[in-house]
Amino acid sequence: MVEVTVTVRNRAGMHTRPAAALVKTAARFQSEFTICKDSMEINGKSIIGVMTLAAEQGSTLDLRFEGEDEEQARDAVVSLFERGFDEQ
Amino acid sequence: MKADKNRETRKKYITVRSFFEANRERFKLRLLNGDHGFDNQIKDRNLHRPGLALAGYVELFTFDRVQIIGNTEVNYLKSLSQEKRRSAFSKLLEFKIPCIVLTDSNVLEPEMLEEADRKHVPIFGTSFETTKISYFIADFLDDQFAPQIVLHGSFVDVYGIGVLLIGRSGIGKSEIALDLIERGHRLVADDVVNVTRKGEGILMGSGTELVKHFMEIRGLGLIDVRSMFGIRAIRFQKRVEIIVELEDWKPGQEYTRTGLDDETVPVLDVDIPHVRLPIFPGKNVTVITEVIALNYLLRHYGYDAAKELAKRLEGTIAEKKKRGDRAINYFEHDFE
Repeated sequence: MVEVTVTVRNRAGMHTRPAAALVKTAARFQSEFTICKDSMEINGKSIIGVMTLAAEQGSTLDLRFEGEDEEQARDAVVSLFERGFDEQ
Repeated sequence: MKADKNRETRKKYITVRSFFEANRERFKLRLLNGDHGFDNQIKDRNLHRPGLALAGYVELFTFDRVQIIGNTEVNYLKSLSQEKRRSAFSKLLEFKIPCIVLTDSNVLEPEMLEEADRKHVPIFGTSFETTKISYFIADFLDDQFAPQIVLHGSFVDVYGIGVLLIGRSGIGKSEIALDLIERGHRLVADDVVNVTRKGEGILMGSGTELVKHFMEIRGLGLIDVRSMFGIRAIRFQKRVEIIVELEDWKPGQEYTRTGLDDETVPVLDVDIPHVRLPIFPGKNVTVITEVIALNYLLRHYGYDAAKELAKRLEGTIAEKKKRGDRAINYFEHDFE
């Protein structure tokens, strides 16, 4: 299991497009992927789940990966957050 | 299935403001003094009647609870001289009380209300009598401080039974839920299910405000069940009664064959019946889910198919010892 904390960087927050990009990326890997924000904990491969978080710019999310390809999954997801989902 | 203990959440406090705003109409609450102290925190789900504290005994005074002042307290205060009355009330206000609820349309002297305002203790009046309002407030606070957990699954009311479908991502929970909706059952929540323990041994499940009754169907995207299937296809909350765990079929894995061994899984310390369902192409999980719900209903009403057949079998074995051993002894004249 690997854990990492990330920050939402893009101005518009995690709206529909970034949410879709995130679940698509996560779905490429076998590992289970969980996101925690405040008291919410959701499945990172579920678009409904990710949208439930309604994560705004500057909010921090705790990510957890568990599975054989957990490190690759983490790297792919973290890079997505670092690039601000390729948005401003 | 594992429900991680660490994921349980429980509110540490609620503010007097949220208490007031959520209940002002239902509890007929009226603010009697100024709006100071609305950020006071209510940290305890219990209530307190400060009779003894007013009489001067303040040891073990649970001042951090919502204080209920009813007829007894008001009559006691009335029996005192004005000076003593005010000093008894001031003594009460030396403690950090979150708020006071004055029941049964009772009134306090304006000077006392002002004093409470200065000490930042809001006083709410209500026309409800003490026992009734105490019950309402205790029920509300119980709910507010109840432990909660968010589970990943689809939650459907099937024939009035709350069935929570869980399983790995992409196993087809949402598709089964959609199939159930199409057959007339009602969706409570998809993907993100908020489960709250209510009282002892009851779990209530609901969706979240934002994504209520939306669901994702792989390859199709997001759909809104409420606008697509109408009001009959949804409900806002439901007791969680069975957890059906969908699993990939693995040869060699053992599953119950009789249904005699009751399996449960603890969620928020409540044991919920748990059915593990292996799935493979061509298996109609929707119908099986309906049958699981119906079987639960039958058992709830006192009929357990597995036990009934076991009993019949025992009877037949006992009979056989006495009689012949043909499976069916005689076909009456009905050769259709």
